[in-house]
Amino acid sequence: MLARLSISRTTTVLTQAETAEFVCRAQRGDRAAFAALVKGYLRAGYAVALSVLSRPADAEDVAQDSFLKAFERIETCREPEHFAAWFLQIVRNRAFNWLESRRLRDVSADGAKVIEFSTTPAESAGMRQALLDALAVLDPRQREVVLLHDLENWTHPEIAAALEISEVWSRQHLFRARQILRTKLGGVPLEENHGQ
Amino acid sequence: MDSERIDFSALDPSRDERRWTRSIDAVVKRALAERRKRLSVEQQLLRWARPVLAVAAGLCVVAWTADYFSPTRKAVPATQHPAAITLASWAANNQIPEPSDLLGVLGNNP
Repeated sequence: MLARLSISRTTTVLTQAETAEFVCRAQRGDRAAFAALVKGYLRAGYAVALSVLSRPADAEDVAQDSFLKAFERIETCREPEHFAAWFLQIVRNRAFNWLESRRLRDVSADGAKVIEFSTTPAESAGMRQALLDALAVLDPRQREVVLLHDLENWTHPEIAAALEISEVWSRQHLFRARQILRTKLGGVPLEENHGQ
Repeated sequence: MDSERIDFSALDPSRDERRWTRSIDAVVKRALAERRKRLSVEQQLLRWARPVLAVAAGLCVVAWTADYFSPTRKAVPATQHPAAITLASWAANNQIPEPSDLLGVLGNNP
């Protein structure tokens, strides 16, 4: 476990068993366990929030906020080995709430204009905007799967467990999402040889 | 398949490692601070709950003892508790009363 924890100062890859252990320790108030869970799942929370919100800054805020909410009620996580699914559901709920309040804010600030995943092609270019625009044409589940797999490096079994879908569906969502993204991104180069 | 991986590094929030580390630290600190705050409220309640329960238990014992030794206390004849007798006989005979019988017995003897 220590070897895994030392992969990076900012990110940790946790197995289900390790996660369960950290959740149990966090329920007893162990600071190191809190930190390990944040390192292990903050990026995943960001990926799921981004799949709803489209704005990276908002997604970061929601992921952090969701962790605070998760820790506030960590005692209610009755199946520590399923922490990922439990936490990502909190993220999803908070992202939808955020989206709703943002929609109201944006409408009141700019007439009837609603800003979400824009489906118009990227005009100002930039890889970041191109990716966001390409992601906009996917459905939310495809976005979650492709971001968790290609950004977060999660495997299909991990994605299937966290999103409570089958591995077959996870693979299909990924395949379809990549197909759409490749078409949409056109000339934007894809990363090569990024072995799993 | 993996050669088809989409490069999302432009959207990776941990590209700026220092900033991301600060975010992680901030989340952990805030979570622990809020937990401490919440626990301190619970501890306050617990601190008061124990003496209150002890006093209540003491009062119960005093009241029961006073009643038990009271010279005006009379034993209530069992015949004055027909509901109790009926219920006991149902239980002893393994009988399951009709709801209407049950309501009748209990309704007559609040």
